[in-house]
Parts: sequence; C-alpha cells; structure tokens
Amino acid sequence: MIEQPNRFSSVSELALAARREIISMTASAKASHVGSALSVVDILSVLYTGVANTSPENLEDADRDIVILSKGHAASALYSVLSLQGFFPNEWLKSYCGNNAPLGGHVTSKGVPGVELSTGSLGHGLPYGLGIAMSRKKSGVFGRVFVVMSDGECDEGTTWESAMIAHHYNLDNLTVIVDRNGIQSLTLTEDTLKLEPFEDKWKAFGWETRISNGHDYESLSNALSKSSKPLCVIAETTKGKGVDFMENSVLWHYKSPSKEDIERAFSQLKES
Amino acid sequence: MRNAFAETLLEEARKNPNIILITGDLGFGVLDKFQNELPNQFINSGVNEQTMMGMAAGIASTGKRVFVYSIGNFPTLRCLEQIRNDICLMNNSVVVVSVGAGYAYGSQGYTHHALEDIAVMRALPNIEIVIPGDPIEASSVTSFLSRSSAPSYLRLGKSDEKLINDSPVSLVPGKYNEIKRGKEGTILFVGSIGKIAIKAEEMLRSKGISVSVTSAPYLSHPDRVYLEKASKIGPIVTVEEHSIRGGFGSSILEFCGKELINAYVRIVSASQTNLSQIGDEDFLRTANGLSAERIVEEFISLLGY
Repeated sequence: MIEQPNRFSSVSELALAARREIISMTASAKASHVGSALSVVDILSVLYTGVANTSPENLEDADRDIVILSKGHAASALYSVLSLQGFFPNEWLKSYCGNNAPLGGHVTSKGVPGVELSTGSLGHGLPYGLGIAMSRKKSGVFGRVFVVMSDGECDEGTTWESAMIAHHYNLDNLTVIVDRNGIQSLTLTEDTLKLEPFEDKWKAFGWETRISNGHDYESLSNALSKSSKPLCVIAETTKGKGVDFMENSVLWHYKSPSKEDIERAFSQLKES
Repeated sequence: MRNAFAETLLEEARKNPNIILITGDLGFGVLDKFQNELPNQFINSGVNEQTMMGMAAGIASTGKRVFVYSIGNFPTLRCLEQIRNDICLMNNSVVVVSVGAGYAYGSQGYTHHALEDIAVMRALPNIEIVIPGDPIEASSVTSFLSRSSAPSYLRLGKSDEKLINDSPVSLVPGKYNEIKRGKEGTILFVGSIGKIAIKAEEMLRSKGISVSVTSAPYLSHPDRVYLEKASKIGPIVTVEEHSIRGGFGSSILEFCGKELINAYVRIVSASQTNLSQIGDEDFLRTANGLSAERIVEEFISLLGY
C-alpha cells in the first residue's frame, strides 16, 4: 500500500482530479481514447469511493469486491482513479505508455495493484468476471464482481453468452455496468449495429436492469445496490464528458490533446 | 484415452476440491461419473467456447485448477484469443483438453478433424503442450497436470486406442518414453498415431532393420539427452497426426537447430490433400500419408537400403 494522504472520499473531487490526470497523461503519452476515459471515469469514481469493497488494504482478501474494466482502452481512467485512491504511486501516471513503464495504453494487470485483468480486446471482461462470480458462488465466498463495459463492446457475442450463463446459475453477485455513451469506433452505436431495445435485451436474458445517469453519483450509487438477480446497470453517459469540445465526438476516440487543448480542458476542469 | 483421462481426473478431483471440470456440452457417457459424483466441481457451460474459456480463466483466478473439455478445434481454435489473453497472459491455471486428435472423428468430417491445433497452441507463449500416446500415458499426464498449476494444453485421442505401453508409466517433462529400443534409427511420435509407429518397427525388424520407437508426450520439453543420442545412432522419423506446418516434427527441427544437434530428421504428418474426403480414421490416416508403410519407406530411403 502507498501512503497517499490525499485519498478521496468525495466522488466529485476524485472524478475531477482523475479527469485532469486523464487529460495530462493522454497528452504526454500522445495516446488515444481520452473521450472513452472521460465517459467512464464517474462510474469508476463511484465504485472506488465505497460502492465496491476494494481498497489497497484488502487486495489479498478472497472476498473483496472485484472490479474489471473490460473496455481496456479507457485505461487512463482506471489508472488515474486507482492511483488517486492510493493503489500505486502517482508517478506511474507520468510514465504512462513509456518504455518499460508499468502502465500501458490498454489495461495492464501485471504488477499493477488493483487491476484484476489485462484487457484491450473487447468482450473478455464479462466471461472472466462471470467465472469469478461462479467460483465464488460454488465456494460460498462473498463479495461482488463488477464488470464495466462499453456499449459498443456489447456487439461481442460473449456478452450474450455470458448473460445466458449468469442467468442460468443466478449469479446475483455479478453486476455489469454499461457505459452507454452511444458512440463507438466509427459512429453512433445505433448507426453501427443497433443495440436498442437495449434494456429489454438484458431483461429478456433474465437480468435485473436499472437505468442510471452515468455522471450522477447518487443515481449511480442507488442503481448499484445489490439485487437478487444478475444486475445490469445501463449508465447513460456522454463520451468526452466534462470537456465541451471533446463531448460526443468520435474524433476524441483517437486524438491526443495538444498543449492548447490541455489548457482549454483544464480551464473547464475546476472545482465548482 | 478420454476414459482414462476422465477416470484419472475423477480420482484426483476427489482428493482435491480445487479441481474444476468444465465441458462445452460434450462428453456424453464420458464425464457422467464425474458430474454425478462431484457436481460442485463440474460445470456444463453450454455451447459457447469463447465465454467458456474466459470463464474458466476467471474461475482459475480464484485459486482453482480448471480443466476445460471439448472436441478438437472447439476449445482451441474457436477461442484462441481467450486462451492467449485470459490464460497465457494472465498465467491462469487452466488445462485446455481437446478430445479427438487428428482424424479420430473420421467420417464426421473436416470440421471435427484436429490437424492444426498443435501449431496454433505452439505459437502461444506460456502454455505447455501435452500429447499422450495411449490410455496409460493419458492417465499419467492427467495426474501430473492435476498437480501442476501451469497453463496447459492436453491433446487426447478418442476411444479404444491400442495400448502401446504394457505397464503403467510415470512420465515427466523433459524425458521421452522409449517403448522399443533399436540400433539404426528412431521413430519419435506424439499421440495415438503411435500405433503405426509400432507397426512400422515390426515391419522394419522383419527386414532386418532395427529402430527405436519413442513417445514424446511433453512436447514443449524436448528430451535433449535422448535426441543427442538418437541423432548419433541414425535418422529420426517424427510421426504426428497433424499438419506438417508448425507441428511436432517442426518443433524437433527447431530444437535440434537451436541446440546444434546434428540430426537427420524426416517428418511424417497429415498431407491434407483433400479436406472434404470422407472415411473412417484408419482410411483418412492412410489417405493422408500416415501409415506404417510410409514410415518404413522413409527409413529405407534414409538408411540407403
């Protein structure tokens, strides 16, 4: 565990600090996916300020809650939140994507405390989380498993295979959170491959569903309370949230912020 | 071979509750006993190999030793990326078990023939490939794999294989299992195709040519001492029920090249001349160049008789 005096209990403060880190690290690494990270960072901030029972102190506990970021391209969001919550040193963020650095452009687990699974190829996180949830059920081990997915990722067949299995075994310890920002790699999800009626799909697969505002901490926190079935929280989000010129833009799936972009972004990312 | 696997795994799983067996909805009449006796250690995932393999990795991450059972290409090619990322990269304790190596499913057709799986699994880092030659070897390697935690690939034949060994064996990585010792050359094989190697040895013997017949079940761990000796005795003919591209013979050539072992190696493998050809296992083996006669021809040409 790292002594980090400024660990956050306030979700809004954590999310704001994480957004600034995301902009900085994406710019200095000349990396992509800043829009995806800004979209999901509030969800992760809610999870890592108490909703998920996981902390630097309990990483060895077999019954801790597990968080898997299946949309591995939003790595900068996970790394920022974990670092700010004391899982590993803040300096690691500065070498993001560097040669021999601990943190890569897609979520890397090896040697990174708090990261449960290396991801990057979509559709891997849910089957893996399903396995952990299944094993815990069979062994009578408590602790929830949260899998954070992107909406575009739900094109993957493993999503629906997993949904069937989780229902069949009634894995009420498994929660999927879909970062429903409506945009995927080239255009809108609904223009790429229709996901709607999205909530009905999950319901039809036997899951409890809850719709939440993915940037509203109370709404997210309420939606994430335990359920008696596998739970899918559809978190309605805005890609690039918090930086107006990055919002709802496919461009910021790819572009890395320039020096000028950083200044403009930082002028918007201030405590209100 | 699949029964030897299932029986040995059940014995091990009785002693170790951390052993979990997952099937992709296959194994009728083979896994029933395990399922009935240890239901809490058994999962039928349904027909969903990609999710099944990711799930297996997740289960393994909780401290379990997970065996995933399916036919030939389904738990290998169909879910290759799950094996690569979720098992090999994450170093999860999963044994991928494929049943029906090579032409074992005979007239079921090419979809059910496993002829490229060794090459594909060999291309992956951090996974051990294990191919027993008969039910006796299958039992030994299953025990070994039950006690190991390494990501592994176990390639099994199907049923009613000829016994090649005449008594129980205790196989370990890095050591070949020599079944017959000869003086002029060596037939080195993996898998149930070993039966044609045994027959070839008999045919050669009747011609006055003496060769060793040796099984190499732990494919990822070549027996350097054995290969060095064999290369001094005479030519080595490798035999595998698999494509020549990236298979067992190819692994021996790579090893000998890297280790500067000066061996004459010929590869007997499946020629795959007609992918849609229908027929039973023996017919397809012979039609694709996998026969005792073919091995005999190789030796005669190599030894200059």
